[in-house]
Amino acid sequence: MTAVRASLGLVGAAVLGWGLWLMLGLGVDRLVGTVTWLVGGVVVHDALLAPAVTVLGYLVVRRLPPRVGRHAIWIAVMLGTLTLAVLPSLGRFGAKPDDPYLLNRAYAVWWVALAVLLVGVAATWELVVVPRRRDRATLPAEH
Amino acid sequence: MPTVPTLRIPREEDLRSSLRDPAVAARVGVWLGVCFTVAFLTGLYSHLLQNQPGWFVPLTRPVWIYRLTQGLHYLSGVACVPLLLVKLFTVFPRLFTRPPWGDRRQLLLHGLERASIGALAAAAIFQLATGLANSSQWYPFSFSFRSAHYAVAWVAIGALALHVAVKLPVIREAFAAPLEAGEHTEDDPDEDDPDKDDPDEDDPDTDDADRDDPDGGAARTGLSRRGLIQTTYAAVGLTVLAVAGGSVPGLRRVSVFANHYVPGGGIPINKSAHRAGVTAAATAPDYSLVVVAGERSVTLSLADLSAMTQRTATLPIACVEGWSASGEWTGVPLRDLLDLVDAASGSAVRVRSVQESGPFRSSLLVENVADDPVTLLALRLDGEPLSLDHGFPCRLIAPGRPGVLQTKWVGRLEVQS
Repeated sequence: MTAVRASLGLVGAAVLGWGLWLMLGLGVDRLVGTVTWLVGGVVVHDALLAPAVTVLGYLVVRRLPPRVGRHAIWIAVMLGTLTLAVLPSLGRFGAKPDDPYLLNRAYAVWWVALAVLLVGVAATWELVVVPRRRDRATLPAEH
Repeated sequence: MPTVPTLRIPREEDLRSSLRDPAVAARVGVWLGVCFTVAFLTGLYSHLLQNQPGWFVPLTRPVWIYRLTQGLHYLSGVACVPLLLVKLFTVFPRLFTRPPWGDRRQLLLHGLERASIGALAAAAIFQLATGLANSSQWYPFSFSFRSAHYAVAWVAIGALALHVAVKLPVIREAFAAPLEAGEHTEDDPDEDDPDKDDPDEDDPDTDDADRDDPDGGAARTGLSRRGLIQTTYAAVGLTVLAVAGGSVPGLRRVSVFANHYVPGGGIPINKSAHRAGVTAAATAPDYSLVVVAGERSVTLSLADLSAMTQRTATLPIACVEGWSASGEWTGVPLRDLLDLVDAASGSAVRVRSVQESGPFRSSLLVENVADDPVTLLALRLDGEPLSLDHGFPCRLIAPGRPGVLQTKWVGRLEVQS
């Protein structure tokens, strides 16, 4: 196991070094831009996004009843991660007037529809599925 | 006097929660590693296709091979978004771990570990942010997307391997231990019983998951570690489904967040004739195609091309920006054009557009692609003459090739010596 770890670590360090070497070959201006985005991404996550999620967790989710809280987390993970993944589409930042097939859907409308759907699924689960399962679990076993 | 709370930098223990646990981090991390590796390998394949080093022989069968690899590249990258965010959530308190100031050796090891994790997090966020921006043709950065995305990919995959090497004992321990506090390990026969109820699944009031959580995570939030992991996988499925229609046939209508959408089906257009500045040259009445091999050359009008033997082939166009679509292309086999100038089989061919400036206005067809019987200089798409934006009067279409190398508005073929 030690040999496997050491080999993987050495290969990883060498590959990482190759990546840094390639970055140096980008030229000064591009390198500065790349490093700015590398650092900026971590800063945005560690200084903004993660603290915001933590604070929301403490201020909102932990004050909700557990059965509501778990659905709040479920919706937040589902909708929050999707939102970040499709952010360039939602903002239509890359839209071009001469390309009718690029970023041409009603993304904001679909986002609202999805949010409503997720809330509906969570409510249905809590109000219909969970009570049924509980009833089934409390019925005496049939022989 | 009311006490005034003092603000200070949080400590690791301030942020502890039952959900922020190595058991979750390891399980989500494995899939994150798999998705990053898939994205790296498929991205590397695309890079080789676009740069074509001499030793590299592109795959041309199945003809949709590049559609597959690019679909995997884009979708594995998209899948990484929920996985990375949840992974970072689970390990966020570790950011505030106090360095072992008193022990120089431990301090050095701690610093190296932190540096490798910093490189991994920075590279991972960078790759996802720039890749997603590129997929919607949004370039808010001052660097070249292709070269920076390629260089940082090596940083990311190297840092990932280094991270796995450092954390392997923690990962093994996390998988060996029960996921929820109070559960049995795999040695327990009850573990294999599929009918055994998970106490957290249906009873949110359970405090099982909270037993080892001094500040009450699951009991207060109601979500177990298993619940968070399942939610993460569900988020991956939802996010991938939301955009997959751009590259997966049959999901076009379902994927309402796809970047490219042709309402009636068909092939999207990445660069219009107007944006490429070729409208006048491509529609000129005296348009001609020149085929050159050394001293020999022939000049063909559009009528000449139309009079040659035509072949129809169903081939996809696949783009690094996360879309692909198949079309029925009709045109002249490239090999027939090369025969007009007695080009030997096994010759590479430079294909040049009438476009005068901008990237990708020429591309190189290596030997096996140039000789492929379904490599066409297409004049028609789905039975109709090519539209100007699709490359009128003729465009290259070849199997297993990136969309940016399927040169449009072709004006010249140069057989390489």
